[in-house]
Amino acid sequence: MVNWFYVPLQAILNGLLTGALYALIGMGMALIFGVMRIVNFAHGAFLMMGMYATYVLFQATGVSPYYQFPLAGVLLFFVGYATYMGLLRPIGGQVDFMVILLTLGVALILTDGAQLVFGADYHQINIPLLSKNIHLGSQISINAPWLVSFGIAMVLACTLYWLVTQTMFGRAARAIAQNPYAAPLMGINVNRVQAIAFGIGSAAAGIAGALLLPVFYLFPDVGSQFTLKAFVLVVLGGMGSIQGAAIAGLVLGVVESLTSLYWGNQWALAVDFVFFILVLSLKPSGIFGSQRA
Amino acid sequence: MRKWQALIAAVFLFAALFVPLLALTDYTLQILFRVFLFAALGLAWNLVGGYAGQLSLGHAAYFGVGAYGLALFSKVGISPWASVLLGVGLAVISAAMIGKVSFRLRGPYFALCTIAFAEVLRLVAKNLPNVTGGDVGVQVPLLFPHSSIRCFYWSGVLLTSFALALSAWIERSRFGYYLMAIREDQDTALSVGVNAARSKLWALLISAAITGLGGALYASMFLFIVPDQVLPMDISTEIAIVAMLGGAGTLIGPLVGSVVLECAAEIFKNIFKEAHLLIYGVLIVVVVLFMPEGIVGTIVSKLALFKKTPSAPFAAPGRATAEEESQRVAIDK
Amino acid sequence: MSLLEVKHVSKRFGGLKAINDVSFLVKPGEVTFIVGPNGAGKTTLFNLITSVFHADSGSIHFEGRDISHLTPNGAAQIGIGRTFQLVKPLRNLTVLENVMLGAFLRTSSPSKAEKEATKVLAFLQMENVAHLPARGMGLPTLKRLEIARALATQPKLILLDEVVAGMPTSEAIKLALLLKRLPEWGISTIGGIEHVMQVVMRIADRVIVLDHGVLIAEGAPQDVVHRPEVIEAYLGSKYKEIAL
Repeated sequence: MVNWFYVPLQAILNGLLTGALYALIGMGMALIFGVMRIVNFAHGAFLMMGMYATYVLFQATGVSPYYQFPLAGVLLFFVGYATYMGLLRPIGGQVDFMVILLTLGVALILTDGAQLVFGADYHQINIPLLSKNIHLGSQISINAPWLVSFGIAMVLACTLYWLVTQTMFGRAARAIAQNPYAAPLMGINVNRVQAIAFGIGSAAAGIAGALLLPVFYLFPDVGSQFTLKAFVLVVLGGMGSIQGAAIAGLVLGVVESLTSLYWGNQWALAVDFVFFILVLSLKPSGIFGSQRA
Repeated sequence: MRKWQALIAAVFLFAALFVPLLALTDYTLQILFRVFLFAALGLAWNLVGGYAGQLSLGHAAYFGVGAYGLALFSKVGISPWASVLLGVGLAVISAAMIGKVSFRLRGPYFALCTIAFAEVLRLVAKNLPNVTGGDVGVQVPLLFPHSSIRCFYWSGVLLTSFALALSAWIERSRFGYYLMAIREDQDTALSVGVNAARSKLWALLISAAITGLGGALYASMFLFIVPDQVLPMDISTEIAIVAMLGGAGTLIGPLVGSVVLECAAEIFKNIFKEAHLLIYGVLIVVVVLFMPEGIVGTIVSKLALFKKTPSAPFAAPGRATAEEESQRVAIDK
Repeated sequence: MSLLEVKHVSKRFGGLKAINDVSFLVKPGEVTFIVGPNGAGKTTLFNLITSVFHADSGSIHFEGRDISHLTPNGAAQIGIGRTFQLVKPLRNLTVLENVMLGAFLRTSSPSKAEKEATKVLAFLQMENVAHLPARGMGLPTLKRLEIARALATQPKLILLDEVVAGMPTSEAIKLALLLKRLPEWGISTIGGIEHVMQVVMRIADRVIVLDHGVLIAEGAPQDVVHRPEVIEAYLGSKYKEIAL
């Protein structure tokens, strides 16, 4: 009698926990897409970089990812900033086509580079927190690391939201997103703001990677699934809407979890894409999006 | 310009027919088969991605459907070549469905949608083991009686020749003009009566047919396929890169691109055992930064400067200004 | 018998009523100008006639048939050609190839299309730039290119949106005199213009004045231009120009 309630509830809770990380990844992508209309195929690769960086640091110093994740963020901020300034800005005048291909190229280089450096083996780390579970009543249990990463991800999401809505940077970024021609006329250094936005978006991916390390297998191509997921979130959430992507992340986490529960793991991934296609066909401006696509 | 390209290609392909007469190892012939296969796939992609300017990153869908079509139809007793035909038919039907949804979107949304469809197909193939054999895979019948690599090589050359001839014909026809107009400015094309949706769809159907045929050939050479071999995004990107590297929107660009890419990949594979995809990434970045019109496109442009006549009309979808881009809307009404 | 009949057409975008209950007719062989300050709704009206969007209410008939719900390419196919205010040339093609695109509506043979395009370019006195890429052309040439492309589709009605805007007045008048000859070829013209009144006065058979989406005056150019409501719609420096 109780199982039909608690089992899905557990799945929903797990979904929310995973969803928080998706939200973080999605928000990063949404920021980049919103400000620059760039479809960043290297987003997942940046996540992978964050993950490997954290792994290396953990192996060397033993510091838990939950403490050292800001370093991954800083690293990926600079990587993102440099990528934008060095590669994306020079081709600024070209069609989307080329930008997509460029980021695809970067993703390939990073992914295969990681394979060269670290090998194709799967890695994982062990931290004491992994074995701790928090119990709510007798039926529900939450694995501690997920709860910690949920907390961190939520705090970062709120920080990102604050950044975009309350700071000068955020206002400049939104101005560029709305009208890239008027923005420089207002004294906004468009290139710098865009580079910073790209850096922040990439940092979000890097941090998500750090947070994923304890609970996920690490291997060179771990990022690509997240790149695709991030796109799905950006579209679902309404192009360029950070809040939308965050909510979409939570929703997707729950939907995947429930799909896993009732139809098996393998279909969880397919569900992402089915959702994606449905939204693109029926309401391209996204579930939370406005008319402007 | 175009006539030169066609001539060079014709000579090259004719000479290619005689290559197996040299004493080459099976392995080398297999690589050469791959060169021509991807040249054909690139030429097919070029119709949609080059001439029509629609960046499809989901062509693996048609490749895989062609491959699985051959495997599954022959599993139920249909003869191999009839299965190939059915597989190609299935690829065309998939293209009709995918196109119907995807072409309503423009720019990056279109690309993402094509990726999504291909991924769905891959996951379906993986997760329905009773139908497709799942990750374990499925057997593929032999299309040529002697199981000799030579036959596959020749089929590759023939497919490339066919795709090239078709491209040449389309380039000079009204259909080709319409595709290019759609690429340059869809609203303008509409205002002169071009049925953009229909033209794009036709380009995709033709493209899918050739791609599906290529998939069936590929599958038959390996005699056994799994979803991650014929349906992953890697295949889609390789096809797109081949065309782009050589020059999207040019006639022989994909052929040149395939030769360069596959040779580079082979060389790289021997130096770095794993991680040979790195070369793809580097090549893409280099091409986008320094040769956005691809090898052939850049050559054609440079030659045009010398001749002081306008460059070939079918130049690559290169530098639109950001202002022009901003006038484009993400969705079609 | 009218060629185009616009009946009680309205269109709103969000909160803004861009076209408010507009009705008028265009007879075959006429040159009509829709005149009005910026934002009056001229381009919206053109977009409605060519089915780029559909009206919220009212109907549009062309040659007696209801065309309120076509597609833009459908409108071109039945004989309505148009140019765009912000020129949209196909930059990587030559001028001739741009025009051929229009000609392809009526023939599928590239050689016939080329012949037709050459004829049109000759009419517009553009033979000397036929083989140059559109990318390098200046605005007056691009404006003529827009017209040439639309003319190559052999339309019965051509909509010219701000066709002389941005040109020096002498150019504008030269072009206008060319356009005056279109009815000889069986092509009726509707032009949309903001302020180059010299052109309107010289070649228009009828003038329709729009202001904020409302049709405020209609008639022969000399009549319309002196009406108080028309002068009021155009304030400031434009006032002087109209009170000629």
